[in-house]
Amino acid sequence: MGVMRIGHINLRVLDMAAALDHYQGVLGLIKTHEDDAGNVYLKGWDEWDKYSVMLTPSDRAGMNHIAYKVEADADLDVLKGRIQDYGVAVDDVPAGTLTACGRAIRFNMPSGHEMFLYAEKEFVGKSVGTTNPEPWPDGLKGIGAHWLDHALLMCELNPEAGINKVAETTDFLMKTMDFHLAEQVMVGPDGDIQAATWLFRTSTPHDIALVGGPKMGLHHCAFFLDEWNDVLKAADVMAKNKVKMDVTPQRHGITRGYTIYFFDPSGNRNETFAGLGYLAQPDMPPITWTEDNLWRGIFYHTGEEAGAFTSVYT
Amino acid sequence: MDATGTPEADLRFTITIADTGETYACGPGQSLLDAMVALGRKGIPSGCHGGGCGVCKIKVANGTYETLTMSREHISAEEEAQGIVLACRTFPRSAIRLSVLGKMRKAVTQRRYGLV
Repeated sequence: MGVMRIGHINLRVLDMAAALDHYQGVLGLIKTHEDDAGNVYLKGWDEWDKYSVMLTPSDRAGMNHIAYKVEADADLDVLKGRIQDYGVAVDDVPAGTLTACGRAIRFNMPSGHEMFLYAEKEFVGKSVGTTNPEPWPDGLKGIGAHWLDHALLMCELNPEAGINKVAETTDFLMKTMDFHLAEQVMVGPDGDIQAATWLFRTSTPHDIALVGGPKMGLHHCAFFLDEWNDVLKAADVMAKNKVKMDVTPQRHGITRGYTIYFFDPSGNRNETFAGLGYLAQPDMPPITWTEDNLWRGIFYHTGEEAGAFTSVYT
Repeated sequence: MDATGTPEADLRFTITIADTGETYACGPGQSLLDAMVALGRKGIPSGCHGGGCGVCKIKVANGTYETLTMSREHISAEEEAQGIVLACRTFPRSAIRLSVLGKMRKAVTQRRYGLV
C-alpha cells in the first residue's frame, strides 16, 4: 500500500525544439505523446507507463509539478485523509486531468512544491517487451537512459529566521506517505539543523531528495544508467553534443551513486545516476553527514563544491 | 557572407567586460558566455548556459545583439528593453561593452549553515 515510485516530472522549457533534441537525442528518451497545448511526453526505454517526463513550453525554466505513483486506487483515499489530517489541503483531481492518468490527488508540500499522487497511468510497455526480452533494445539514441530515477528539490532554509522547509517537508513525507529517511546532512553550531535529506519508498537510497537553499526550486531530476562505464559514455555523448556539464563523472558519498550533473537547453539541471547504491529498507538506520564532511558527502572524490551545486538552480 | 564580403565564420567582435577591463573575441554564432568560457576568461558568472538560472545577468552599455528566450523569472520585459540580458542567450552583432549584474552567491556571501 502507498507510494511506489516517482511517476513523472513536469518541466518548463523555453524552447521545445531544443528541449526535444536534448531529451530525445542526448538522453535517449522516447516521445510517446504531444497534446493540444503543446506539452510533450516522453519515457525511458525501460519504463512501462506512458511517460515519466512532461515538457511544457513556458517563458521560464523550472518544475511545475512532480507526481508519484501509488499501488492501488484506494490508497489515494487513505493518503488524502492522512495528508489532510497533517494539515495540508488536498484537491481531488478527476481522471484525465493528468494526461493518460486515472484520478489523482493534488497538494503543495510544506516546501511549496506541487505534488500529485495517482494510481493508474496508460500502459505502453518496455521497448524490449515482456516475453523472452533482450537485455537492451536496438536503436536507442544518445545515452539511452533507462528511467526517471528521482528528483532533488530545493527548499527554503533560513535558520536565523526560523525557516527550515527541508525539515518540515521531510517530516511531512515521512508521516503522511511513509517515506523512509536514508541519509541526512546536519549543520549549524550544534549540528541540529537538518539541511538536506534523502528519502525512499523503493529499495534504493532515494526517490526524492530535499536540500536547503535561499528559495524553493528544482535542483535536478535524475535518469538511471546501469554502471560506471555507462556514466563515462554518457559524458562523451554530452561533450559531443556540447551539452553544458556542471559536474563531470564522479561519485556521491551520499547514496554512493555515480553521477554527472548537466543542464538541459533551458537550464534545468539533469543528472545521470548509475548504481543502485545500497539496499534501502525501512529498518535501515539513517546515515548522518556532519557539516565538516558535507562536501565529501556530495562530491566524494574532491570533497569540495564542484560546479554550481548550491548557487544555480531553476 | 555579410555586406563587406567577410565570411560569417571569420567574424569576431570584441567583447569588453567594463568591471575588469577584460576583452575577448566572440563570433555571431556564439553566446557572450560560451565565448568567454571557451577562451578561459573570467568575469561573467557561468551557470546553466540555457537562460534558466539567471546568474550570468549583464547590462549591455554599447553594441548590438540578438537574444534567445530568457527566463522571465530573471529578466523582466522592462529589463530586456533596457539592455539587461543573460550572457548565455545573447549573440553579438557588433563589438559590445557590458557590465556584470549577476553574482555567484558562493563567491560573495558567507555561509553559516553549510549550504546557506
